[in-house]
Amino acid sequence: MSDAAKIDDYVRGLTRALRALPDREEIIAEIRAHLDHRAGEGKLGEAITALGPPDACARSFIEEMKVQSAFADGGPAKTFGALLALASQRVTAATGLFFSGIFFVMAAAFVFVGFYEMVAPETVGMWSDPATGSFFFGAMDDPTLPSAHELLGPWMIPVSGVLAVVSFVIGQKLSRFFIRLMMRRKPLLAI
Amino acid sequence: MDVETWKSQLKKGAAELAVLALLDGGARSGIGLLDALQMRPEIGLSDGSIYPLLNRLEREGRVAGRWETPAGGGRGQKHYALTADGRTALKSMRTAWIGFRDDLTMIVGERK
Repeated sequence: MSDAAKIDDYVRGLTRALRALPDREEIIAEIRAHLDHRAGEGKLGEAITALGPPDACARSFIEEMKVQSAFADGGPAKTFGALLALASQRVTAATGLFFSGIFFVMAAAFVFVGFYEMVAPETVGMWSDPATGSFFFGAMDDPTLPSAHELLGPWMIPVSGVLAVVSFVIGQKLSRFFIRLMMRRKPLLAI
Repeated sequence: MDVETWKSQLKKGAAELAVLALLDGGARSGIGLLDALQMRPEIGLSDGSIYPLLNRLEREGRVAGRWETPAGGGRGQKHYALTADGRTALKSMRTAWIGFRDDLTMIVGERK
């Protein structure tokens, strides 16, 4: 295979692997220029080996970009999105996604409960059943348990709101924590 | 932690400082930086790590990239130059590095 064909082959693989990035053309052009230059020096083989397979080369850009952008932005969508995108490649991201995801889902559930309290207050509440020692917060189809007492009444709305905000903040803090952890542990690539 | 992992962590921050310091002497391409670092393998920058690093530094606004085509034609190369933010960062990093190096040398010594 000629040098030009090897370069085309590598760039094709890199283009495919970088398809998720909006501004990939610049990166691809620079890597192609790099390979052209090394081919001119008769070092194309070493250059391709040093860059690594196209997938690995692309991953180093994607990781750097997502982690950096999530860290710089700090917003919940960016941080959670970065964890989501990297979860298949990094255990830290998958762990962060799992734990922060739990709190984001809880936040959504509390918002739902708060709204549902306005629509169907008789089915929403915080019940305590002294007979069984059980406790329930949320909405249920049949809230007419003989021994259960509803404790909050209309206070369900502000309580749900506060719990939603607290869960959301914890989820956001966890996302940020795991992004920071990834930045600390991220090894310099291809050393 | 084995020594290789420790070395990798050590090089992580140093590579950024090395690139900014080299660009302080004038704009360079990725190839130009690699050639300048060829005799300094301990810095740990390779073909595979220089471009993601430059890409990040450009997005952070510490360097600015510009495509330059050779006078005789042919494929151009992207040259990077320090921005004002990059110069400020380099100054802070250099001060921090010198303090760190001096303190650590006092503790560890210079004997190999």
